Amino acid sequence: MQPAASILIVDDHDGFRTFARGMLEADGFTVAEAATGAEAAETARSVRPGLVLLDIQLPDFDGFEVARRLAAQGGGSAQAGGPVIVLTSTRDASDYGGRIGSSPAAGFLPKDQLSGAALRRFLAASSPAGT
Amino acid sequence: MSRRALAWLIAGAVAATACYFLVARPPGPNAYLIFYLGTPAVAVAFLAAGLAAWLRWPGSRLGLLFSLVGYFTLLPALDYLDNPAGFTIGNAAVSLAGAALAHLGLAWPTGRLRSRFERGVVVAEYASAAGFSLLGMLVWDPAFSGCDASCPANLLLVYGSRPAWDAVNVLNAVVSAVLTVIVVVLIVRHWRSARGWSRQAMVPLVWVAVVIGAESAITNVTGLYRLPPLANLIFNGWAPLVSLLGPVLFVISTVRARTARGALGTAIVDLEPGAPPGRLRDTLARALGDSTLQLAFRDGNGFTDTSGLAVDPAQPDPGRAVVPLTGPQEAVLVYDAGLELEPQLIRLTVAAASMALEHSRLQAEVQAQLELVRASRARIVEAGDAERRRLERDLHDGAQQRLVTLTLALGMARSRVAGVDPELEALIEAAGKEAKEALTELRELARGIHPAVLTETGLAGAIQALVERSPAVVTITEVPRERFPAVIEATAYFVVSEALANVAKHARAGTAQVSIRRLPGRLAVRVSDDGAGGARPERGSGLAGLADRVASAGGVLRVDSPPGAGTRLEADIPCP
Repeated sequence: MQPAASILIVDDHDGFRTFARGMLEADGFTVAEAATGAEAAETARSVRPGLVLLDIQLPDFDGFEVARRLAAQGGGSAQAGGPVIVLTSTRDASDYGGRIGSSPAAGFLPKDQLSGAALRRFLAASSPAGT
Repeated sequence: MSRRALAWLIAGAVAATACYFLVARPPGPNAYLIFYLGTPAVAVAFLAAGLAAWLRWPGSRLGLLFSLVGYFTLLPALDYLDNPAGFTIGNAAVSLAGAALAHLGLAWPTGRLRSRFERGVVVAEYASAAGFSLLGMLVWDPAFSGCDASCPANLLLVYGSRPAWDAVNVLNAVVSAVLTVIVVVLIVRHWRSARGWSRQAMVPLVWVAVVIGAESAITNVTGLYRLPPLANLIFNGWAPLVSLLGPVLFVISTVRARTARGALGTAIVDLEPGAPPGRLRDTLARALGDSTLQLAFRDGNGFTDTSGLAVDPAQPDPGRAVVPLTGPQEAVLVYDAGLELEPQLIRLTVAAASMALEHSRLQAEVQAQLELVRASRARIVEAGDAERRRLERDLHDGAQQRLVTLTLALGMARSRVAGVDPELEALIEAAGKEAKEALTELRELARGIHPAVLTETGLAGAIQALVERSPAVVTITEVPRERFPAVIEATAYFVVSEALANVAKHARAGTAQVSIRRLPGRLAVRVSDDGAGGARPERGSGLAGLADRVASAGGVLRVDSPPGAGTRLEADIPCP
């Protein structure tokens, strides 16, 4: 069992953030929020979350760009101490073609399938001990 | 010209000719028939040409000059009258026709003499023709010319002197020769300085002038000797035939105008619509027979012709005339002033040019309107695409988002009551499932409205997604990875999407190939399958709508679908 990880939810939709936070906190995570890409980069620097749940559709930059910046500021990858980045959207992964695969994100999670268990799987897959 | 004037002219010509036959004696044993018939033949030809010229060019003096030559040709026949007055006048008028002919040649083709010098030459011609005859008459005893006592008396005879008469004749011959040379040289110079229509009009005259000049020189020289009848026939017998060349000039000019009229008619028909103004000018110039024709258009404050020369319609160069064209553009024709004699030709040319320009303008207008329609169609499609993109995004940002949140809330609610109230838990789980179903359906709907993947990743990703969702085995042979303008991407995408939908629905195909190739200036989309074929882009079908869509992007869609041999759908979409 992993220690309670901190999660940064990046999404411009207040309702989603509220419910996602409630669900994840109930599941034992520490949760921080950001509504924009710029805010996400800033919060990630101060909070240093273990996982960033990153919506692809953001008002300022798109999720791919934010993922690139987070990865760059976090040391390049989860192994180098950066957060595990999980892209999310109400759309399908197939709607983004190959862009998800070529981004530094660890993977994609459709929004409606969000759960603490799903995030733990990403964390486990990315931790050096888990692989 | 009024009918009455015309009647008088005809009557005069007929009367003069009739008089000739009344007074002229048939040739005696020492004369030849050609001299008897040559005179009236020449006269009638000139009188007829005069009448016709009067009708054709009412404002010109050419009709008068032709007629004068005709009357002057008949006048010497008065000496057949057994009457001293007629005999005297007839002999005095013997050279007047030549002078009138020189006048005609110098005034050709407008009827006007060109300079004071030329007017002087013409006056000298008439003066020497009348003067030397009269001078000779003063000293000429008809007996010198073998006329016996049966000849009527010379009323002007003052003192019969053969040496004086010979001297007058020699002087007359010399002056006539000089004047003839001057006239021929002037005519050749007119020809050389003329351009366009006038130059063409001068060409036959130059030939006629040279021949008549030569004939007149021979007559002059031989007139100094008393020739035996046969020699007289050889040297002078062709004189009447040569004189007939004068009326031939008129015939040639008439034929030429008629030919030009016909050629203009043909040119109007043959001129392809929308030809550049330069070609229009060339065609008209050729048909009209005026190589100097200029077609000039309003250009700022002035006019510029089709070869780029500035033209001032208010002050045309000497020898040039200007006529405005009717029509939308301000344009003028500048032509050789010699054509002023042929107002009908000018009217015809103006009509042809105006019509051609109007035609070109209409065509340009239609073309412009077509362009407008094309552009607006493209804008409509573009706006439609943008609207669909917006709808998809609205669904994504709105309803889908809320459904996702609802799903999460239901999930949380379910976990709260888990193990507490199994009935409620089951109810919430069912609600959650419904919400997820709704979300899936909404996602499909949104994708149908506009594929987000196209906006997100461009053609390569979008085609890949289409292929992955297709139930058939589809291979992608080529797809460019670069991005294109949204309309082009959407059009190419819809071609592939419609083709693959048909493959799945109708074609009973096992496999299909998709290729999108980036070619210079265009995107070539091609989808082929090995199915049943027989697809037809009829109205209302998906293919017809697709053809419209491709056409709105300026492209073409081809469907090749022989029954039983698969379907090939090809679209060429212009792409900068």
